[in-house]
Amino acid sequence: MLKVSDLDPGLRQTLDWAVTAGSVLLCALILPIRLPGMELLGVGPNWLLIWVIAWSLKRTVFQGAIAGVCLGLIQDGLTMATPTHTLGLAIAGMLTARLQKQKYIQEDFISVAMIAFGMAVVVETVTAIQFTLQYFLSGSPKFYPLLTQTWLYHQQVALSSAILSSLWAPVLYYPLNRWWESLDAVES
Amino acid sequence: MFTLRRWWDRYGLQLGLASLALAGAWTIRQTNGLPILEVYRLASSPFHAAPSREEILATAQFQELQHRLADLERQNQQLQEMLGQLPQQEQPVVTAPIIGRSADQWWQQITIGRGSEADIEVGDVVSGSGGLVGRITHVTPHTSRVLLISDPASQVGATISRSRTMGYLRGQAANQAVLVFFDKVPDVRPGDVVTTSSLSQLFPPGIPVGRIQSIDLKKTPAPEAVVELSAPISFLEWVFIHPHTSQASATDEN
Repeated sequence: MLKVSDLDPGLRQTLDWAVTAGSVLLCALILPIRLPGMELLGVGPNWLLIWVIAWSLKRTVFQGAIAGVCLGLIQDGLTMATPTHTLGLAIAGMLTARLQKQKYIQEDFISVAMIAFGMAVVVETVTAIQFTLQYFLSGSPKFYPLLTQTWLYHQQVALSSAILSSLWAPVLYYPLNRWWESLDAVES
Repeated sequence: MFTLRRWWDRYGLQLGLASLALAGAWTIRQTNGLPILEVYRLASSPFHAAPSREEILATAQFQELQHRLADLERQNQQLQEMLGQLPQQEQPVVTAPIIGRSADQWWQQITIGRGSEADIEVGDVVSGSGGLVGRITHVTPHTSRVLLISDPASQVGATISRSRTMGYLRGQAANQAVLVFFDKVPDVRPGDVVTTSSLSQLFPPGIPVGRIQSIDLKKTPAPEAVVELSAPISFLEWVFIHPHTSQASATDEN
């Protein structure tokens, strides 16, 4: 079998970029699909959030924020740009990078699932807050015209998205983490 | 100078990569996800549902009804012409498969597999078997995105077809919507059929939307009714796109 350490450094670097970009593309492509077991109350797992978490777990706050902004922009393009998804995902990326994982959390599936659960709630709350701000700032709110409706829907969305994202997080985290770990091992 | 140089050596590549990634993501946002949607359509094309035996039969039946309807519409048009009203021009209908659902939790959208190559434009009206589905909001060469009428952002002028009581329909996620009446005492009963009204600027009048499920006359500031949408959007596989030049495409939804 071909080993990562046998590859030419330049080729290895290119392969790393290709894997990173390819996995983002894959996440963006899975977003509009609703397979059986991937849907709860019409809501699917937030694949881009799972990717941001997998990326930020072993990286700096700055890298987490940049990843969040990039994937947020992609999701803006795929749905609607106001309110923006960049804010929620960037905050999720920064928080994930800030977590003192060595101290409190072990590197395993359960902790990744738990982080995904928490961050999904954070992301949906940031969106709901943006809708609320829009409601107070603009005279005639166009998107979610009723405040009560926004927050009622927020409960539903946050819970289903958190459950599904945490359940599906290891599927993406495991292969990506494995790849990045093997690269780190070669480079050090 | 030296520290700057060392800083650049250390973080230059990272900074470059970050700005490259940001630029790429910004491009995707500005083009409304065009590259991703096109790749998605290509990748999913082997899985697009081929019509089954029952579907072909159902389609045949549907077409028979359509022909009868077209015949009646023509008669209606002739009668209207006799009365001196302006006839409406018949416009071609495009059929498209639904290839994707909403890419986030807050928007009720679907992606369909035909785009500007099939002469679909922003503002076109989308219907499916059962009734009104939504409105085209974004178009790429081979895909388009539809904002469903079940989205809270889409408001449709609607009327009760039995009593012509007017109101507007506000989406409520899932397969329901709320009809807010303009009258204080609307003439409405559970089971009444709701269609788009002639006051609607974004949709042509007379498209079936749903049925009244329950009524709340005490609601302030205006009485409301819960409407069950008649098009089962989560099960639909095909939709029809009707060209529609909206009278106020850029202004408020109504």
